[in-house]
Amino acid sequence: MLAQDRRNRLRAAMNEAGIEALVVYGNSWQSDYLRYVADFSSLEGHGMAVVAPDGSVELFVDSVAEAERAEAETSGITVSLAPEIAREVASRLERVANHRIAAAPLGFMPKFIADAARGYQLEDGTTLVDRLLMVKMPAEIDALRQAAKLADDGYEVFKEAARPGRRQYELIADIEGFFRKKGCADNFMIMGSGGKDVFAMAPPSARVIKAGDMVTTELTPAVHGYFAQICRTMVLGKASDAQKRAHALYREAMEAGIATAKPGVTAAAVARAENDVFRKHGLGEYATSKYTRVRGHGLGLFVDTKPHILEDVDTVLEAGMTMIIHPNTYHPEVGYMVLGDTIVITATGAEVLTGMPREIFEV
Amino acid sequence: MRRGFIAWSKAELPESVFAARLARLREAMAPHGLDALVVYTNNTRTAAVSWLTAFVPYWAEGLLVVPLVGDPLLTMAFSNRIVGWGKGVSCVARFEGGARPGQAAGKYLVELGARHVGVADLDNLRAAVASDLAEAAPAAALKDATALFDSVRQQPDPAEIALAAKAGAIAQRALALATGSETRLGDAVAAVDNAARLLGAEEIYMAAAPDLDRDHRFLRPEGVVTPGKSFALRATVAYKGTWIRMTRTLGRAPEPTADAAAQFAAAVARLPSLDGFREFPAWSIEGCRLAQPLDVFAAPAMSAPRPIAPGSLVTAQAVIAVDGKRIALAAPVLVGAQEFPSSVLVAPIFA
Repeated sequence: MLAQDRRNRLRAAMNEAGIEALVVYGNSWQSDYLRYVADFSSLEGHGMAVVAPDGSVELFVDSVAEAERAEAETSGITVSLAPEIAREVASRLERVANHRIAAAPLGFMPKFIADAARGYQLEDGTTLVDRLLMVKMPAEIDALRQAAKLADDGYEVFKEAARPGRRQYELIADIEGFFRKKGCADNFMIMGSGGKDVFAMAPPSARVIKAGDMVTTELTPAVHGYFAQICRTMVLGKASDAQKRAHALYREAMEAGIATAKPGVTAAAVARAENDVFRKHGLGEYATSKYTRVRGHGLGLFVDTKPHILEDVDTVLEAGMTMIIHPNTYHPEVGYMVLGDTIVITATGAEVLTGMPREIFEV
Repeated sequence: MRRGFIAWSKAELPESVFAARLARLREAMAPHGLDALVVYTNNTRTAAVSWLTAFVPYWAEGLLVVPLVGDPLLTMAFSNRIVGWGKGVSCVARFEGGARPGQAAGKYLVELGARHVGVADLDNLRAAVASDLAEAAPAAALKDATALFDSVRQQPDPAEIALAAKAGAIAQRALALATGSETRLGDAVAAVDNAARLLGAEEIYMAAAPDLDRDHRFLRPEGVVTPGKSFALRATVAYKGTWIRMTRTLGRAPEPTADAAAQFAAAVARLPSLDGFREFPAWSIEGCRLAQPLDVFAAPAMSAPRPIAPGSLVTAQAVIAVDGKRIALAAPVLVGAQEFPSSVLVAPIFA
């Protein structure tokens, strides 16, 4: 039902733009365009889908395991095992070369497909699909709501898992086992542990968790392909006064961002609201790209989608957009600290979907 | 998504292993007149760069430049905050972070004076990266070096065979934890996933055929799924850049299972001939030849199988019908060479 609703919405958008055919790309890191079109999230290899002028959808994958999975998991589309995927998709596009064809994301297309020497012309359809990805239908928000609940529950497991003597990757094992048990197929997470020596979260390592460590993570489980995220910081033991002061600042910044997020406001305004708190406390430098990447980002069929919450992003927020607001950055007194909640933009403001208390946890 | 344990294990992959691989690659490059070879990597297409540097991307993309003479450069789309992590989990002379790896790699090609540049898997190189590369190194003629790379890559060294055996052992031990009596598929999947990660897997992708009597196809379980009387679990396990698949069928009697295992072993022994597998209702042979960790070599849906090199590492999968009952199996295989027959590297036994 949701898959069909997405396809109907896509067809309407294509018709309005005069686009007759569309080719999309996905892989295990970013599969949102592919999932929107073909209801399939890629796990191994390349996945590409072509929406033909007659509205039919053909999915091409270059992994034999993925071809079998796509046949089992999808309906209403044609699935092809395409070991030479770029050439096979290009060949398919040649057959509709006399139509207006868009590609999304255009920059992700394999070189062979994007090559100007092909017999078709590709227009950039990224913006067209991005708008559909950003502004969600109620059923999509419901999925995110479920994912946010799962993120909350997952963080409780993470708190239990983080104990002195354990290695970072062992914590991930506990979280992933929990998510699989709950029927959650996918999750993205990075983490950090230590003190002032930690400048960012990273993939899990064999680093041993020690008493007194500050442990950070962002958990991003998916339900029906929709990712919600939570960022929290804990201390193994008692939080120091400096850690508590720092956390209060991050909380103030996050809440300033959430309070600003509403329809008609730009992503830049939300970022400014967060960063102004850091600037007010004389820590403006730590809100720059030297120490942090973004002050939040869109969530949906991809964990790090548009709009990015940055002071130079002028995307105007609309009801139905979902995102995380997280002023995650390095703090000179205590190290890298994180705090973030998933929100949905409503007609009047922002509804917070994650429910975990905004504390610095002491475990 | 990835969330596994990424590390360069110097005990299992000493620098000498990478030096030898680079030497083999350069030896193959020289007759083609290549000044440098460029290899792409991202979250999905990890295998070529990890084979040469140990580096496995978690989310970002990048390019490795291997000059015929001089230091290799790995340039990743990383901020400076993450470069330290990258350096710590890779074995490469130069590691850089930057917004656009294509531009950085092109700049290095100019610095090297490289004019004849091979690109592994040029067709599939992301167009925007290819464009940056060409723009930054306008004097470099880029040509496809897929066959060259493939010819070097398909010959595993002892280190890679050991890693495949380790990955298989992790999968075997983890799959042994499923009981077959689970009333929710998620319980079985969770036990295997958790165990593999605790055993040090870099990644595990779980798939299941929830009811073999109805459908032998594997999917990624989501939500609450009640398994059938007989179901199969497949663990795709990565360990330090080497990927394998193992499959366990649960809920079948011991006798047909042993019969299926014997048929599987017999088909494996005939590899690289596919004749033994063609009798099965479903099967595939996968291995690593370029950037995808498990590329399809042969399957019923392929009109032209790719050649399977003697001495190569592959994963064989099959669904075998015994007395009308389907049994799914998969295991890593070392393909025979010279007088040695093909055989499974880790037996699909889970007791």
